[in-house]
Amino acid sequence: MAKQYDTFVDDLATLPEGKEVVLAVRNLDDFKTIAVKAVVSSTGEEDDLLWLRFSRGRLRDKPWRIKVIEELPFEALFIESSVLQ
Amino acid sequence: MDMIKGHQELVAALRKSGDVIEVTRQVDWNLEAGLIARHINETGDRSALLTNIKDYPGARMHASPLSNYRRMAVAMELDPDTPPKKIIDEYERRVRRPIKPTLVKDGPCKENIVKGDDINLLQFPAPMVHDGDGGRYLATWHVVVSRDLEQRDWVNWGMYRCMVHNEKYLGLLTLPGQDIGRQYLKYQAANEPMPVAICIGPDPCSAAASTSSPGAGVSEADIAGAIAQEPIELVKCETVDLEVPAYSEIVIEGHLLPNVRVVEGPFGEYTGYRTSPRDPRPVVKVSAITYRNNPIVPIANMGTPVDECDILFSITWGMDVRQAVSKLPVAAVHIPPEACGHAAVVAVHKIYEGIAEHVANAIWGSKLGYLMPFVIVVDDDVDPYNWNEIIHAMFTKLHPQRSLHARHCTPGHGLYPFLSTYERKWGIASNLLIDLTWPIDWDKNIDVPQKASVRGMYPRGLAEKVVAGWKEYGF
Ligand SMILES: Cc1cc2nc3c(=O)[nH]c(=O)nc-3n(C[C@H](O)[C@H](O)[C@H](O)COP(=O)(O)O)c2cc1C
Repeated sequence: MAKQYDTFVDDLATLPEGKEVVLAVRNLDDFKTIAVKAVVSSTGEEDDLLWLRFSRGRLRDKPWRIKVIEELPFEALFIESSVLQ
Repeated sequence: MDMIKGHQELVAALRKSGDVIEVTRQVDWNLEAGLIARHINETGDRSALLTNIKDYPGARMHASPLSNYRRMAVAMELDPDTPPKKIIDEYERRVRRPIKPTLVKDGPCKENIVKGDDINLLQFPAPMVHDGDGGRYLATWHVVVSRDLEQRDWVNWGMYRCMVHNEKYLGLLTLPGQDIGRQYLKYQAANEPMPVAICIGPDPCSAAASTSSPGAGVSEADIAGAIAQEPIELVKCETVDLEVPAYSEIVIEGHLLPNVRVVEGPFGEYTGYRTSPRDPRPVVKVSAITYRNNPIVPIANMGTPVDECDILFSITWGMDVRQAVSKLPVAAVHIPPEACGHAAVVAVHKIYEGIAEHVANAIWGSKLGYLMPFVIVVDDDVDPYNWNEIIHAMFTKLHPQRSLHARHCTPGHGLYPFLSTYERKWGIASNLLIDLTWPIDWDKNIDVPQKASVRGMYPRGLAEKVVAGWKEYGF
């Protein structure tokens, strides 16, 4: 059975299709934040499911697909920043 | 009477007063437990001890620990039927006498100690509180303990949400205007990790104290002792130089990493909305977990009123407002729970013009200026605890041109729903003073309308007699 993940995105242009990207996704079994190197696409039947949520949590109707190439250490998600908001 | 030393002891006290039920049928940590807590909050029902959690045999959760005044009264060892104003007056009486904590060698939170590779935050049933939240929030009812880098005797206690990223990392909301944000910015400037201890399910007085906002330099542990009327017992942490309430259900020790962010949130928030988006926020790397045997994971489900924030803010921020305006001719103060802590209603003796401005300036000049965008000032014939009277004053005394005083570019934060996305990002807020007092230059006999109420339009002796003998009329 296809695995299910989700990620949060407002502007779909920031989620490039068909090429390798490093993404923060959640595994929908336990909701852990995981770092993956993956290829995503808005179409297709194969691969695992990638549900998309807007950044305030609302779920988009149609899931994308995700092919996880490699799970990366959590530290791959570290963003260097001193801004506190 | 002995203080309620921990969360398990709070549940026992609530059982005695009839304010908790035990749910033995299976409940899912994924949404169902959160939904139960939310429904309790929206209906004012009893809290619920959940003793059969899916995937977590033997684990327990407590939904909505203190989301009404009855349970707050129990936590303060008062009669559960004590009216809100009496609870708040009693709280004020107690916190005037801070009591320093005592350090003890051992405590229940040390019954189990986990370090190194064995650390696994998901060993506890961290709830997915609302559908669409950014993660599982293990800490929704807790104390985050941290020590200032410069002023080493300032140990801050605050309640700031914590999301589980994975077994060993947590996300923590550290707004820059909150004390933890101020402390963190100092560690970050020195590029030093900031030690923190997150005490989940502490005794109710420590939880309450951590929601107060006395400002930089004040250690809330002393306020917790004041509420409990005896010193809070603290034990030393295993891996960080901090002390924590000894009866905490679970203590997570770790460090907030400097200059590092990972996306956190969103989360259903105290305002009743999910306002702040998923954004890069600081992370805690966990170095130890200690916990009581058979710990209870509490869930405080933030959302539309009335939840723990609304109750606690009416008490703890109510006290902070009382202190801020204590030198002014003020009759009464209330933070109505229905306004989520966003509004102070202050009744004044109108002996000079501009009192409303004076009151608003005092509140906005205090630490709460960062948290409370609305101040409503009423004459002393309006009871700030009575929404009906406030609404009546609002729609009869409010002059649309004269009574509203907006201030722009005030301090605030990204959780205010009414700000634009840009304003939220940078915490650029606006405040509003609503002045519902009669102008001082209106002649009381000629210009000021007479209030057509029992108190306002009948001879006092007659009114008292009629009300006192009410049943004799056959009512
Ligand atoms: C249940 C609950 C959850 C809260 N969550 C947060 C939070 O995530 N972030 C935050 O800044 N304040 C939160 N607060 C409010 C703070 O605890 C409150 O503003 C407190 O005064 C902060 O302490 P400080 O003034 O020492 O920073 C919460 C309060 C309660 C009752």
